[in-house]
Formats: sequence, C-alpha cells, structure tokens
Amino acid sequence: MRLKKEDLNKILALLAKNRELFVPGQVRGIKQFKLWDGETPELDGENTVLPPKDILFPKTEKMYAYKTGTETEISEIVDAPERVIFGIRACDMHSIECMDSVFIREGYEDSFYARRRAKSLIVAVACPGAGVNCFCESMGLDPDAAPGADIFLSGGGEFYGVTANTEKGETELKKWTQYLTDGDVPKGEAHCSLAPAMSPELSEKLTGLFDDDEFWQEVTEPCLQCGTCSFVCPTCYCFDINQSSVGDEGVAFRCWDSCMFSDYNQNAGGHNTRPTKKQRLRNRYLHKLAYFNERHGMELCVGCGRCINKCPAHLDIAEFIDKAAEVCHD
Amino acid sequence: MSDIQSALHKRARALLENGDVEYVIGWENARGENKTRPAFIRRAEDAERLVWNRWCVNSTAKYLLHDRWPKGKIAICARGCDTRAINRMLSDGQVKRENIYILGIPCAGVENQICRRCAHRNPLVYDELLGEPAEEKTDFDRFEKVKEMQAMTLEQRRQMWEDEFTKCIRCYACRNVCPACNCRECYADQYRTGWQGKQFNAVENRVYGLTRAYHVGDRCIECGECERVCPMDLPIMLQTGRMLMECNELFGQYECGLSDDETPALGTYNLNDADSFG
Repeated sequence: MRLKKEDLNKILALLAKNRELFVPGQVRGIKQFKLWDGETPELDGENTVLPPKDILFPKTEKMYAYKTGTETEISEIVDAPERVIFGIRACDMHSIECMDSVFIREGYEDSFYARRRAKSLIVAVACPGAGVNCFCESMGLDPDAAPGADIFLSGGGEFYGVTANTEKGETELKKWTQYLTDGDVPKGEAHCSLAPAMSPELSEKLTGLFDDDEFWQEVTEPCLQCGTCSFVCPTCYCFDINQSSVGDEGVAFRCWDSCMFSDYNQNAGGHNTRPTKKQRLRNRYLHKLAYFNERHGMELCVGCGRCINKCPAHLDIAEFIDKAAEVCHD
Repeated sequence: MSDIQSALHKRARALLENGDVEYVIGWENARGENKTRPAFIRRAEDAERLVWNRWCVNSTAKYLLHDRWPKGKIAICARGCDTRAINRMLSDGQVKRENIYILGIPCAGVENQICRRCAHRNPLVYDELLGEPAEEKTDFDRFEKVKEMQAMTLEQRRQMWEDEFTKCIRCYACRNVCPACNCRECYADQYRTGWQGKQFNAVENRVYGLTRAYHVGDRCIECGECERVCPMDLPIMLQTGRMLMECNELFGQYECGLSDDETPALGTYNLNDADSFG
C-alpha cells in the first residue's frame, strides 16, 4: 500500500482525533517533537535536536502526591494520555526499543513508562537524508526501515510505502483506507555520513580496555562533564527520584539524571565511586557499546549523532569507536 | 601552516623534551573538516598534533581546574580571552601562577560570533608570545546586545526569558565551561542542602540561570563560552552582560580578567560607592 505525500496532512488530522499528536517542528528555534498545530511537520533536513524520549519518559515525571500529619495520605498520579508520535526515524524508533527493553521487557516493569508506551501509537518515517554525524547503519540499522514502529512510512519520491508492523498499527490503518492505493515505492536512498568500525566482536572486546588508564585518559581529557550528551541522547534512561515539599504537602517525582554529573555516583558517607571524568565517560561509552549488549543483546547507541553535534568539547563517539577498534585489534 | 602554529610546534616540543612542563594544553584536529578539540600533549613527538586556526574555538583555561595539583608545570596555549580566564582564576585563588607556563597566542578572532566584540585580541599575560601582536579593535559597542534587550518592554523581556528558561535543559554546560564558575562544589550540586530543585521546568531552570548570572556577573570575562556551548542556544551572555553594564554604570569602567589580583565589584566594600538604589 502507498500514500501520496500530499495527503499527509489529512492523515495527520485523522491521527490527531481525540489524541495528542506529536510531530517534528520548531519550538523556540529548536527542532524537536511538538504538538501538531495543523502545519506540515518538518520531516526533512536534520533530525530533531532533542530526541522523542521525553514523550515516553518525561524529563520530570510526578509519581505520587503526599500529605503528612497525624495520618499520611498518599495519592497516585497517573498521567498517560492517548498519544501519537509521528515522524520519528529509524534511529529514534530503535532508541524506543532500547527503552522498552529497560523499562518493560527485562525484569521489572516500570508502570509509568509502560502506561505511556501502551497508550502511544508510533508512526515512523523513512530517513530523508542523514545528518553530518549520523551512523545508524554502523549500529545495524537501516534508515529505510523501522520494524518496531506500529506503522512505517517507507521510501522516497512522491509516495510513502505504508506498512503496519503491529496489531495496533493495523487497526489504525483501517481508518486510512480512502487515502491508500496499491503500488510499489522505491527504496529510500538515505545513507549515513559516517561509518565507524562498530561490530559485535568489538562490543565484546571493549570491556577488555577497562583498565587501560592511558587510553581512557586520552579519550576523556577534553570532557567538561556536563550533561549535554546524556540529555540529547535518545537512549540515556537514567533518572533520579526526589521530592518537592511545601509545608506538610508535596510530590515525589523522578527526573532525568546523567552519569556525567558528580552527584550521580555519590554514595552514602560521601564516597564517590566514579570520582573523575575518566571513570564517568568510560562508563558512558562502555554502557552504550558493551555493557548494555551483555544484558539486552543490543547496543545502547543508535548512531543518531546528536551527542557529536552538541558536545561542547567536540568529543565524538564515532571517533571513539574507531580508536577503540584500532586498539582492540592491535 | 601559520607562523604561530609552527612556532607552537617548536616550543611545545622543546618544553616537553626539556622536561620544563608536564603537558601542553592546546587544540588538535577533530574528525571532519572545520573542527578542533582541546588537546593535551604529553610527549614531545606528539607536539605536531597541535593546531592553530580559526576553528580553535574552545577555551583552554578551564582545563587548569581539572588538574589543580599538577605534578609538573602545565603549558597552556592562551589567546586574549584565555588569558583573561587565567587572570580570573588567579584572582579567585583557584590556580597558582608558578604551575602554569603561558604560550600567548595573538588572535584576530575565530569562528565565533562573540569575537566581533572582542577588545583583547592579544594575550594579557604570558611567558612567551608566539607570532606578532594582532591589531586591536575598538569599533564596536560592548553592550550592543544588552541595550537591544533593554529597549524591549518589561512584558516582552519577561516573556522572552520565560521562553528561554522553558527551553533550557539544565545540562550545566554553561557552568562547566565558565572560568568564573570555579567553586569547588557548585551550589547546584549540593543536593542534600537542596538549594537547586531537581525538577526540569522553567521555574527551576530560572533559579539556576539567575543564581549563576548573579554569581558570575561581576567576574565574567566575556569569553562567550557559555553561549557557544549551550545546546539550546540560550542568550546567556545577556545575563552577565546586563550585570557588567550595571557595574560600569555604578563603578566606572569595569572589565574582568585584566590582571591577576582583581577583587570583584560586588565583593568590594567602598564608602564612596554609588548608592543610588537606596
């Protein structure tokens, strides 16, 4: 089945019915996912500066409210509206699969994430052209495929190929029939700009570098230890739990955290298990490229290149992969 | 290759070979064109990795705080702005002059908008100067952008900052790159005291932004690194610029990082100070 690109806004109107529809667009000069305002979404050009993860895993999520006094009252906060995420690319779709593995599939089910995820319909779109620092193909992805999306709009030209990958997607497609026609759509031509030497073998060998102090010193020295890479990363999923109280009332919330921050590894008694940037950035790189693989069977980096675009010190995970590959194969 | 870059290679090599310094902080090429990153050269044979060109945008000075007790001297490539940053940290008692060897680099401006409003293209302090001094410029208004902001109505400004703080993701890059942000422990990291709430929203972002602006506003050396690194493009220099403009109006000509023994305007008590706000 295929869909004429000029009918896109009609499809968006269908998707927005009784639901919050998120599409890529400009908000205060920053490309990110925003509520659809009837305008044509910005599907072309570079990917969004901020990833879509905030929609499923908010920067700040209120968990429950409490009231103390002679008796403690606790009330649950449930905030999981029906939503559609439209226009995410292969890399970002895979990042959601990574988060699914963390929050739903492997062991404990995180009710906050699971609720939002269950109420979200995801419509992914073929990558229109890689950004300057993209390398999703090196991470095993295809810019013109998103098997994890409920619906995938593939290919290039004036039509999208339309495929439903899930039951939810199939149900949705039934509403689209008047706009769908038969016919083939050529494969999208977008390819990555970068091709770092990532491989499953390298992932296995990386932890062997753990004690190579000189290697890590060289790699991590320019790092300023800010949280930019974590906060623009579509797969970084760490959070902190805290509360905000006024008088005898308050809310418990969880909010994004970053392993680059000094207090992330602060233990009771003041001991810090990763006291310097060498340990912190090493952890970040190894978590992305090796540790996550051990437990979840995939890398935690999708090759979107956002951290490369935004690192104040111009650190580059693709360059790191090549450097590590060189050392590992020596 | 520029004269400065070849002089830099020669001097970095000699300093390392002679054991005069432990390492040299400068810039090296990153992958791709038009990109460099801070470099830390420890071996004489690596001296030629150092580059000097218009893509050398990163401030070098802040890295001195990543090694507060160096085993040997640290040689540092420093442009005008970097030397002001070094003066800032010397004035604030954060680094020791005897630990640093400054390779001064005259700079006609790099690929950064802020360089258009640079009044110090030559290093203000150095152990040796590489190349010929650059021509200084004075044909600009240091507070041009601040004045544009001040020309807005109160409501427009309120809305503008509301929007900006909504955009902020509180990654703390502005703090971590800032040479005036040199507290051993930032108030925002004192999580047990809880000065800075952890929620990501416009309210907490404003607490952070304004606290930082007031904390560095009378010590800002105007390098513009905060704006360069901001992933969300917040006009952070307008905050410190506003503070500096006020300091100029209240206390006369005021610029930071020009010497190594400055006391900040708001940290100085003087009976003759203007008290027009009273």
